[in-house]
Amino acid sequence: MRSVLRSHWLYVALTAVLALVAAIWAVPHLSEPGWFAYAPDPTGFTPPLPTLSPDLFLFPASAQIVLLAVGVGLLVQIYSTAYLGHHQRYRSYAMVIVLFLVAMIAVVGTTNLWVLLVGWEVMGLCSYLLIGHEWETGEARAGAAKAFLVTRIADLGLVLAILVIGETYGTYDLLGAQPLDGEAKNATAIGLLVLVAVVGKSAQFPLHSWLPDAMPGPTPITALIHAATMVAAGVYLAARMLPFYADSTVALTAMAVIAGITMLMGALFALVQTDLKRALAWSTVSQLALMFAAVAASDPEAGLDHLVAHGVFKALLFLGCGCLMHAVGTSALSAMGGMRRPMPVTFWTMTIGFAALAGIVPTAGFFTKDSVLHALESATEGDGALAGGTAWALFVVALITSLVTAAYATRLWLKTLLGPAPGGLDAHEAPLAMTGPLVVLAVATFAVSIGQPFHHGIGVVSTVIAAAGIGLVLLMWRRGSSLDWAPAPLAAELGLDRPFSRWVPRLTGDVASAVVDLDRDAVDVYPRGGAAAAALGTRGLALVQSRNVQRYATVLAAGVVVLVVVGVVVS
Amino acid sequence: MPLLYPLLLSSALFGIGLYGVLARRNAVLMLLGVELMLNAVNLNLVAFDAWFADQLHTGQVLTLFTIAIAAAEIGLGLAIVLALFRALRTVDVDGVGR
Amino acid sequence: MSLTELVFLVLAVVAAGSALLSMTSGQLVHSALWLVVTLGAVAGCFVLMTAEFVAWVQVLVYVGSVVVLVIFALMLTRQTSATTAEVTGNRWIAAALGVVAAIGLGATMVAGFRGEDIEGRRIGTAGSIGQALFTDWVLPFEILSGVLLAALIGAIVISRSGSDR
Repeated sequence: MRSVLRSHWLYVALTAVLALVAAIWAVPHLSEPGWFAYAPDPTGFTPPLPTLSPDLFLFPASAQIVLLAVGVGLLVQIYSTAYLGHHQRYRSYAMVIVLFLVAMIAVVGTTNLWVLLVGWEVMGLCSYLLIGHEWETGEARAGAAKAFLVTRIADLGLVLAILVIGETYGTYDLLGAQPLDGEAKNATAIGLLVLVAVVGKSAQFPLHSWLPDAMPGPTPITALIHAATMVAAGVYLAARMLPFYADSTVALTAMAVIAGITMLMGALFALVQTDLKRALAWSTVSQLALMFAAVAASDPEAGLDHLVAHGVFKALLFLGCGCLMHAVGTSALSAMGGMRRPMPVTFWTMTIGFAALAGIVPTAGFFTKDSVLHALESATEGDGALAGGTAWALFVVALITSLVTAAYATRLWLKTLLGPAPGGLDAHEAPLAMTGPLVVLAVATFAVSIGQPFHHGIGVVSTVIAAAGIGLVLLMWRRGSSLDWAPAPLAAELGLDRPFSRWVPRLTGDVASAVVDLDRDAVDVYPRGGAAAAALGTRGLALVQSRNVQRYATVLAAGVVVLVVVGVVVS
Repeated sequence: MPLLYPLLLSSALFGIGLYGVLARRNAVLMLLGVELMLNAVNLNLVAFDAWFADQLHTGQVLTLFTIAIAAAEIGLGLAIVLALFRALRTVDVDGVGR
Repeated sequence: MSLTELVFLVLAVVAAGSALLSMTSGQLVHSALWLVVTLGAVAGCFVLMTAEFVAWVQVLVYVGSVVVLVIFALMLTRQTSATTAEVTGNRWIAAALGVVAAIGLGATMVAGFRGEDIEGRRIGTAGSIGQALFTDWVLPFEILSGVLLAALIGAIVISRSGSDR
């Protein structure tokens, strides 16, 4: 495996250089005062026309996200040399990762909305390419196409949002367009359009189903794009745009409702999955919804903190999942178990990851979820744009989600790492290029929690809830339950995909045939009528152009007679 | 003798000649129609000359010219008809175009 | 009504009637022969209008040569296939146009020259016409002779060019 790393050092080095440059750029911004401070620049002249000037600008939160992206990207690149180094299309794979990182930095680092859009679209393209990396399988092709199409719906929302912002504020620059002193205009329209954009990109209800179907992509890519960074860019965008719609109760309530539905739904779906990757994907959906809940509660800092922490521990879990798949050859839960002895590094690092997912002290997951729950609780007082009742409902849903999250994290931990090893399994530890990133991420899972705020009341409540979820599952495990429960509606994921798989094609077909009918019966009347009129006119003119001398002479004589008669009558 | 007699006869001949030019299928008879119309003109010229009692005999001299022109015209016309017939084996004017 | 008028009216009726027959006859040769009658009657009219030289020229050129030429042409272009009809489909339009033209011209003449009489003082004898032709009209006469020559050569060239091929 060392030879693989050696032969692919170029791509790793490229990513490392990118990461280094980004780090040199971003690290100084981490310590700037004003955690989420926008710096409205009233003197700054911004041209009224769209430009593609990069306009780089970082503030602490975006610097953190840049560091998260390049860090996880570098680790994934190293990991991939071992995991995918022998793949025939490794080169394109590695280069697309680099392209993705550049696009992500563009989205996070720019203040020019059009550059942001370009980066956003390039990320979607990279996502499509990487999901479809194993395009020999129909599953990967279908997943890639689905992800691409669904995120296009979202991109439409972003384009419209940018246009509305440009029309409203007269500039396409985020800093120049910042509303001063809460005089946000068109808040509801911008908020709802941004919501459409982020709902698609971050796989929120009702556009959630593409993310689990994106799992045929290579596992390191799932860790990078579909857990840590790209889907989280939706949360970043929602937070970044928050000043535009912070006053809009409608937009924030819609976001809260979507977040509430999605977080509980994702957690419940994750609870019943029989496939580790798919379960982790649903878990990602649920966690992203938690971040949106924080944004909806007008506390984007908490949401972005959780974004960073989640990016770290979910990347850890996915990369660990990759190690397990490397060992057993599949991601099905039934094929795993008893990993503690043969794969100690994977076992311990994934245990840390699951602990962070469940929200156990002192992992980063605990602290950031604590912040989110605190933000929700603060919003229940109702002095923000979100109504108190809505915030209460969201808070309760988030607590239930915490319980379910702890339960499914425990279940996955038990099913994959403990328990009896399936017969005939000859598991062995992954190579260093794969375990190394795991260790780094495991350390980061603790490191991110340094300096995070801590809220006593909520912390105790969430710890109790998490412990209840863990205890419940452990109790059932002890009593000999296989933990394979799957009520039919949940196993079928409530059939929420049906509108897309059945109604949308039918609707599209109906609309298309209606358009065809319209085109044939209404629009084509004009060309056909024109053709008929031309044919008629031609036939009339053919009488004159008869190639018959006498007809010509007759017409001539008739013309002369008519002219003379007219002349006589007139004079 | 009233001037109107030859003038009305010339009008009638002209109308008949016009009908012949426009209606006869045979190219030779078309030319005959043209001759008839020319003759109507001649009649007019002579009648006005006689009525005017012109010192120069303008009308009668022009009539002579017209006759000469008509002779040239029918000579050329018949030559064309013969060439046409040799090329197409027909002198039907409405059959020439096809 | 004087004798001259009576003769003129008779000749006029003959000329118009034979012209009509000539233009409507189904037999091509009959058409040519009816045309001879028409031209002869018109020549008679010329005589009655004191234009005796023009009348002789009419008889010589038209009745003598033109009609002979036409009859030769008719014989040379004898159609192998029997034609369906000697008149074309637009005969009724042609008839209407002919009637309209005749009535229009006649009405104009009636409106303009009603009541005028031909005195017949100057008789167009060969001498007087020749006097006019070779003094006052000599230049047009020479030009006309050139035109005739050109037409003659043209007719020969056109009618011969097909047979050479």
